Formats: sequence, structure tokens, C-alpha cells
Amino acid sequence: MANLVEIKEHKDVARKTPIEVFPDPKVAVVLVNQQSGANNKSLVSVGDSVIIGQKIADSTERVSAPVHSPICGKVIKIADVYNSCYEYATEAIYIENDGKKTKDKTLTPISEAALKDTSKEELLKRIREAGIIGMGGAGFPTSIKLSIPADKKVTTIIVNGAEGEPYDTADERLMIEKTANIVRGVRVLRKILDNPKVIVATKETKVEALSKLQEAFGKEPETQVIAKHLTYQQGDASVLQKAILGYETPPGKRSYEMGTIVQNISTLNAIANAVFEGEPLISRVTTLNGDVEKPRNLLVKIGTPIVDILSQNNIDTKDIANVVVGGVMMGTALQTVDSPVTKRTSSVLYFAKSKAKKGQKQTACIRCGRCLSACPVRIQPIAIYNAVTKGDFAKAEKLWAKDCIVCGTCSFVCPARLPLASTIKMARQ
Amino acid sequence: MSNESSSELVVKPAPFITSPITKNRLMQYTFFAILAVTVVSIALWSEVTTPSGWNLGLTVAVGALIAVGIAVVVDLLIGKVTSDSEVNIWSAGVFGLIVINCFSLGFPSMAVGLETGVPVEAPLAFFYIALISLIGIVVFKKVMSVAGRKLVNPAAAAKFLVLLPTLPTTLITSFHLKTGLLQVPALSGGISATSIVNGNGGATFGSYLQACYGLPTAQSPASIESVMFLAKYHGWVGGASSIAVIVAGIVLFAIGRKYFKWKITASYLISIAALSLIFSFLFVDGDLTTRLFFELFIGSSIFMAFFMATDPATTPFSGVGQIIFGIGLAILTILIQTFMGFFGGSLLALLIMNLTVPLIDRIRIGKPFGR
Repeated sequence: MANLVEIKEHKDVARKTPIEVFPDPKVAVVLVNQQSGANNKSLVSVGDSVIIGQKIADSTERVSAPVHSPICGKVIKIADVYNSCYEYATEAIYIENDGKKTKDKTLTPISEAALKDTSKEELLKRIREAGIIGMGGAGFPTSIKLSIPADKKVTTIIVNGAEGEPYDTADERLMIEKTANIVRGVRVLRKILDNPKVIVATKETKVEALSKLQEAFGKEPETQVIAKHLTYQQGDASVLQKAILGYETPPGKRSYEMGTIVQNISTLNAIANAVFEGEPLISRVTTLNGDVEKPRNLLVKIGTPIVDILSQNNIDTKDIANVVVGGVMMGTALQTVDSPVTKRTSSVLYFAKSKAKKGQKQTACIRCGRCLSACPVRIQPIAIYNAVTKGDFAKAEKLWAKDCIVCGTCSFVCPARLPLASTIKMARQ
Repeated sequence: MSNESSSELVVKPAPFITSPITKNRLMQYTFFAILAVTVVSIALWSEVTTPSGWNLGLTVAVGALIAVGIAVVVDLLIGKVTSDSEVNIWSAGVFGLIVINCFSLGFPSMAVGLETGVPVEAPLAFFYIALISLIGIVVFKKVMSVAGRKLVNPAAAAKFLVLLPTLPTTLITSFHLKTGLLQVPALSGGISATSIVNGNGGATFGSYLQACYGLPTAQSPASIESVMFLAKYHGWVGGASSIAVIVAGIVLFAIGRKYFKWKITASYLISIAALSLIFSFLFVDGDLTTRLFFELFIGSSIFMAFFMATDPATTPFSGVGQIIFGIGLAILTILIQTFMGFFGGSLLALLIMNLTVPLIDRIRIGKPFGR
């Protein structure tokens, strides 16, 4: 791991900016599918009234997670809109806000004292019914991730506080402001996983968060808080696991098979909200950053159109070069700002045309080999790229294209500006 | 506001930020590093006037302008008339500088008065420099790039092609040895700084180095160390000062450490040193430094090690491949120089090693993450 590439964080202002509650949207655009796994079906029709936290889409398949209404109001339309989770348009439920605050109470909270008497099956059911998925970007249903086969034993939980994506500070602010809730989330995990030891891992640059974590986790059993020099790539669960525990999980194997579960901060916060507050996943903290006057961390309802966030921050929509959601290294450039915030939207990054620098255009590979030495999973990006561009997908597979974690580092370092990461991503699919 | 429609945005794949290092920037760094070496050569060689009356420093300066000028103009012209040829002025400039720096100029004091027909002085040299630059940029850079990729180092290949007809007189010293022209001792026997060990020729290897590379007008010969390390007045332009090449090369590698293939330079130089010492033992040399200094610091070795062997387009991708390449280059260079009497054999060695790159690229040491 000696050759991991350092990428500038761009977090100086955002990491010091407290979380603000963003106003509820006048019309929420809730995507029916935001998770990895089976597709949901809409449970409502146009004209139906819904309340806050009401389940509005679900699937009977095991690997799935339901979706809930973030606001009170009426379903006015069901139509396709660009879905940043999948990078194409999918079905969304449009809900007109009636301004009421009526909440669905299907998901009942339990007290912290009652946690020890609650079965792991009950906790997993609550996590599933709350619609919780991996909020770091992967979107895998958390209840499935935590459903460990009886013959397997998880010995370590790694709390992933690395938040490697440049510009993103949502997790960092949660670590500072919602530390107690994250501790509660970890307690739920320990209960589900039969009390493994806990390593809370963060970056040494997150000074305030580290102090809060050390204070909050100080009295937790078998828990250690670690601050390391971590590069962007070490925000990936498998690469972080290597950095913390020293071993590598073979591709295709789930991390629990190696005795470890890596859990993201936002997801832990959502787990605590679901179990102890009875609140399904209808909002999340997202960082507004990029070419904005003032970077912000916003607690925003899932389904809020991105255009609402941009307009409220006086961003001229005519001057938009790109709006990127989910991180500048691994995220997605929106086709339209009418696209909504999803459970995976860790950040909304606005880049202005007026501030765009004239970069080098794509040129032929100069064979510098930098992508090879920079790859955190030691594959050969340029060789795979060459195979894919020649249509030789069999060769790309032989070159371990499927092992790619799509971190984007190869494209970042490429002096010829070749779209290596996106091409390999295509080969993986 | 929620229903406000917006214009479609330009969508591109992640990542949305990139490293500040671009191909152009790498070429600019390289250009200025080689330019610094060239300027040192011009300054040093301005002390020398060849039998034809041309100042050697001026010859280098004019030669550099010719080589760079032709490369850049041809690059621009090809870019204008073809749609699939990429214009890269900095890359062409680097190529032009390499052409002049790997060209042999200067008249060794021992050869003064001899008519050898060797293009080592102006104005004949300008014709050869122009021809090498033209053939190199057209055939070995542009045509090969369009065909797929550059197979061999363009400057090395063009020089070899252009000078091939005059190979015996320009490159292979054994010819001089046989004809008695330059009285060059062979490396395929014991050598020494001070005594005739192998009996070839009439000079010791040390006095050959001093006579061949020293300042022709010097009252007394400079030490071998000084000649080979500080200032040579004959041979590759880029090798005039080994220390200048080393400093410029190290600064370049330090600036773009992860992009330049310094492992080739390091493995080549270490291997050359090791092999020189081994050969010194095998041939029972009179000392251990004469062969070592020659093999390491003649222009074709030191300049090539830093600025030609590291050409990204014609060398292996991986770090391990680069080390294999450097070692192979050193072995071939030593063998060619020792047993063919081809001083400057690194040029041929480089071309051969360039052709092995597709094979070296297949070698993989280590496995992907978790495998």
C-alpha cells in the first residue's frame, strides 16, 4: 500500500460547518429503487395521500430495502426521472407536500435499556423495514449485510470514519455532532453480531471528530478508536480493512467470511435512528460543496430535487458545468438537476462553467505506467482499457477487471486523461 | 421551485478531478531538463574549434535548432494535414533535443589531421542531424504512432538507420583498431589507466580516454576521472558533462518521480557498474576504475540512461518490467561494447531491448488485491 495516491481533501471549510436542516421540498421526488439488489414496486397510486415515514415502495425479494415517504402529502405523479444510483432514469413517486407533520408509527422505537433483551432477528427486521442501505455509496441492504450465516463468526466491526472522497464532510460532521447516536448504532451492531470487538477508524486530519469519538467511545467495551494517515482509497471498505487489520479479503468473498464487518458512519446513524427513534431512512446529511460560495452540510429529505438545493444556495443554473452527486471520485454527474437526493447522496458538488479550467484533452497513452503503480488493488488499468477498447472482454476478465473497486485513481493520475476507470467499470458490468 | 425544469447537463464519467500532471507538463519538464544539459554542452564545447574551423559549441547550438526546428515544424504540418495525428509540440521538441544530444560531434586530438569521413563536425554534421530528425519524427514517431504504438526509441532508431551505411567508420572502433586509424585499445582484454595490458593498439586505455575525450588544446591531459565525469569534448553531445546529465536527470525524476521511469536508469547504472567490475576481474584489468568509468560515463551510456532508456512509449509499463529492461539493456550494452568493439553500443542495445517490451509487459510479479 506504499504507493497509494494522495488526493487533496478540499474540506477545510465544509468540515467546520455545522449540519443545517434543509427545508422540506414542495414536491418530493422519491425514487422507487435506490438500493442494490432486487427491484421494488410502488405501493401507492396517483391521488393517494401519504404521511411521513409511510412505506411507499417495497419488494418481496430478500435482498431489497423499502422506500418511505419523506413528507406528508398527495401522490401527484409516478414517472421516470434520472436516478443517480444507477445512472439512468427509473420510476419515481412525486409527492406534493401539504405541510402537515403527521408521522407513520409502524416502526416503533425501543429504549436503549431494552436493547439487550431484543433479539438480533428483531433488530435486523427493524433495519430492513427502515429501508436502511449502505449510505457510503454501495447501497447494499444493511439487514442482509448483517445477516451472518450461523457457522460464521464476526470478530471485528470496523467503523469506517475515513470518508475518503474529497469535498465530502457529511460523515465527519455526523462524527462531531451525532457521536452519541453513532455509539448507539454500534451497540446495535454488536448486539446483532454477538459482541465482537470494535475499531473506530478515522483519518488524522479529522481532528475534532477524533476528539469527539475518543470521548464518546471511551467507555464502550472492547472498543478502540484509531486515527491514521489514510489516503482517499482507504475509504473503500476492503482497502480500509487492509490498512487497519493488515489482511486482504479475496475478491468475491464477503468481508464477514474473514471475520470482519465494515460499517459506514451515516449508516450507523440511520440504524440508531431506526431502532431507538422508530424513524425510517427518509433523510440524510449531504455536503454541498464545489464552486459554492459557502460549503454546507445539509440534513435533507430523501427525494428533495437537487435543483431545490442549488436554487436555495443562489446557484445560477445556467452557469452549471457539472453537478456531481456521491463524490467527486466515484460519484455521478447528473443529467438533470431535477434528479432527487437519494439514500446514497453523500454530497452534491456543483462546478461552475465560469470557474472551469481548461484541462488537457484526452490523448493517446504515453505508457508511463502510472496507473499500474497507483492502483490500490494492483490490477493493470491500462492493459484492461486496451483490451476493452478492442472489444476483447475475455482478456479484460483475465486481467482481473472484476477486481476493480472503481475508485477512479487510475483516471485521476493518467496524464493522457484516458477514461480508464469508467471503461473498466463498463467491463465489470 | 421543485418543478422548475433545467437544461440538460454535460455528463462525463467519474472522476471529476484529475492530477495536475498532464502529458504536456511531463514533456515540458523533460524538455527543460534536456535543454539544461544541452546548454552545458554548448558552454563546454565553445572552447573547441574543429579542423574545419567551426566552433564546436556553435555547432551544437545550430544543430539543436535544426533538430528541434525540423521536429516541431513536421509535427505541426502532419497535424494540419492528417486528422488522426496528435500535435504535441513539446513532445516534438523533446525528440529534437534528444536527436542533437545523441549525435556524436568533436574531433579527438588523436584524430586531428586524419581524414576519416566521419560526420563529427559542421557543416556535414548538420545534414546528418537534419536527416535523423526528419526520419525520426516522420517514420519512428508519427507513422508508428498511427500504426499502433512506437516500437523503438525514435531518435535512436533514426540515428542508427541514418548512420548505418557509415557504421564501420563512425561507430565501430574495432575498425579503427584494425586500420590503425585511431589506435583504440579493445575492451575484450585487460585494460588499465597507465599500462598497455592487452596489447591492442599502441595506447593504454587511460591515455585513449584522455586523448579521445579531453580538451584537444589542453597543455597537459586532464585526469581520467575529470574527463569522464566533468567534461568530455568528443562523442555524444549529451554526454559532454556526466555530472550535468546526472543533476538534470535527478531533478527531473524528483519533480515527476512517479511518472518518469527512473527504475530503468537505476537498474541500468547499477548493472553496468556490477558488470564492469566483473569484467575487470575476468580480464585481469590493471585497475578497477578505468573500465567502470568508461562504461558508466561515456555519453552514450550516461545520457541514454537518463533521457532515452526512460522514454515511456518504448519501455515496459510495470516497475518490475522496468528493472528487467534496465538490466537487459546494461548486459547488451556491455557485451556489444566489449566484444563488438562498438563504443556507443547502448544505441543498438536500446533498440533490441525496445523490441522485447511486449514480452516484458507480459511478466507479472505479484497478484491483485486479495488473490
